[in-house]
Amino acid sequence: MTDVLTTPSTEAPTAVRTRAARPQVLAYARLDLRRQLRDRVGMFFIVALPAFLFFVFGMGDDEAIGSANVAMYVMVSMAAYGAVTATTSVAGAAATEQTMGWGRQIALTPLRPLAFVGVKTAVAMVVAAVPIALIYAIGAATGSRGNAVDWLASAAIAWAGSALFAIYGLAVCLLFKGPNAAGIASGLIVILSFLGNVFTPMSGLILTIGKLTPLYGYAGLARYPLSEGYLPMDAGHDPVWLMLANVVAWTVIFAGLAVWGLRRGRERV
Amino acid sequence: MTTPAIRATGLHKTFRATDGTEVVAVDHVDLTVQPGEIVAFLGPNGAGKTTTVDMLLGLTSPTSGTVEVFGVHPHHAVVEGRVSSVLQTGGLLPDFTVRETVRAIAALHGRSDRTDVVLERANLGPIADRLVQACSGGEQQRLKFALALVPDPDLVILDEPTTGMDVGARQDFWDAMRADAAQGRTIVFATHYLAEADAFAERTVLMAGGRIVADGTTADVRASYGARSINLRPPTDVVGPHGVDEAWLARLRAAVAPLGITDLEVSSASLEAAFLALTGATPSTDEAEEALR
Repeated sequence: MTDVLTTPSTEAPTAVRTRAARPQVLAYARLDLRRQLRDRVGMFFIVALPAFLFFVFGMGDDEAIGSANVAMYVMVSMAAYGAVTATTSVAGAAATEQTMGWGRQIALTPLRPLAFVGVKTAVAMVVAAVPIALIYAIGAATGSRGNAVDWLASAAIAWAGSALFAIYGLAVCLLFKGPNAAGIASGLIVILSFLGNVFTPMSGLILTIGKLTPLYGYAGLARYPLSEGYLPMDAGHDPVWLMLANVVAWTVIFAGLAVWGLRRGRERV
Repeated sequence: MTTPAIRATGLHKTFRATDGTEVVAVDHVDLTVQPGEIVAFLGPNGAGKTTTVDMLLGLTSPTSGTVEVFGVHPHHAVVEGRVSSVLQTGGLLPDFTVRETVRAIAALHGRSDRTDVVLERANLGPIADRLVQACSGGEQQRLKFALALVPDPDLVILDEPTTGMDVGARQDFWDAMRADAAQGRTIVFATHYLAEADAFAERTVLMAGGRIVADGTTADVRASYGARSINLRPPTDVVGPHGVDEAWLARLRAAVAPLGITDLEVSSASLEAAFLALTGATPSTDEAEEALR
């Protein structure tokens, strides 16, 4: 029989102990990060898919756009898409963990809820850096061209801005409970990326509608260092304030939805 | 005088159901558990056991009443590592291995040194590198038990701890718990198996409808729960595939009626008794399993 539980007890609860050991948050974050990076399906959508799309949509295209070339423009878009997928899925998984019972295990440890949010944010941001680093490396090797500021600023904006979609992933997974919620959140990102002018340059009515969708402002800001707001194929020019307004508005909307989802979840306890 | 492990006074919890009506889950429960006691929370599903456990752990706040664990708020007792629990509804992460799960929780307790100790203690060594999703229900239950041991608590609260274990694993589990209790750990467990309370607890708190309906030594509670029953085996020629012959039953009723016997119930042998008989294990009680209704 394998199910044996009769190891003799060698430990007794001691009357006096040194209490209140501090949570080793970094050790937990490291384990959680490794678990995330090990998830092959998840990492496919976060790293391999955007790298493939980069290959399809403009790798090596040397036509000039702003201070860089088309290859660089597409590279930034795809890195941004990968980063957003990363933060969405990590944050979404965090929300699902909470609703599926792991949260109750965590609640029986000294870890404070705010520290848990901190751990998950750190994990999400590390995972988001993976597609950016990889796709920028591929771009550098295959003829993406721009000045130093283009490279550094676009990477920094794409990375930092992806945090918005951690809030998005949290909100979606708190509203649609269950194990499929994280998949729904990542799936919607694909649609929002098309509308947000991330995959292929759009024009006309779809572009006008697209300007109101959540990835538009973020991707536009990430590309701003090289494009200065000019859209490819002479589709017009976006001022910075429009993209900033887009990001701020969606931050407020997603945060509101997340808080609402959290409250709704608590009431049902 | 020592501080009680648990002191609950007037513990009351109501929920609002989806249709807006108020549901009383726990109804003015008073309970004191002294250090070193082994107490069974016995009751059918919906008796309020899990809600009570949640309040003892500070996972849910009572609507009214107070609860203290070792003289402090339950949450503080949790933070100090004095109380821990095997949760019935607690989840595990399917893509952690068994060892990673223990390491993760040990890190959060600031007790990474405990990882190997509890893995060995719950006998998880052989499957330590297996993914949780590949573990059987009983193995996952043992992993939850290992997590409960991480802070080396003075009080362990177990909510239906043997769910998913087969009969043999269940007995091994209780043997391990008995060894633990002998070392002085206070153990409170919720169960709906009368046999588990009977075999393991010195004291049984019987819950029904959110109230404590009996609280005393397990033997006393068993006696108050119902008189002993007598089993008898009918001759084989009156037992068919559709049960016991009705005419013979009528004759039996008529025969025992003069002795004051009013209730005659026909039941099949319990599965657990049959299982134990067939596998050669010895049942821990005469009535191997008697789920409360």
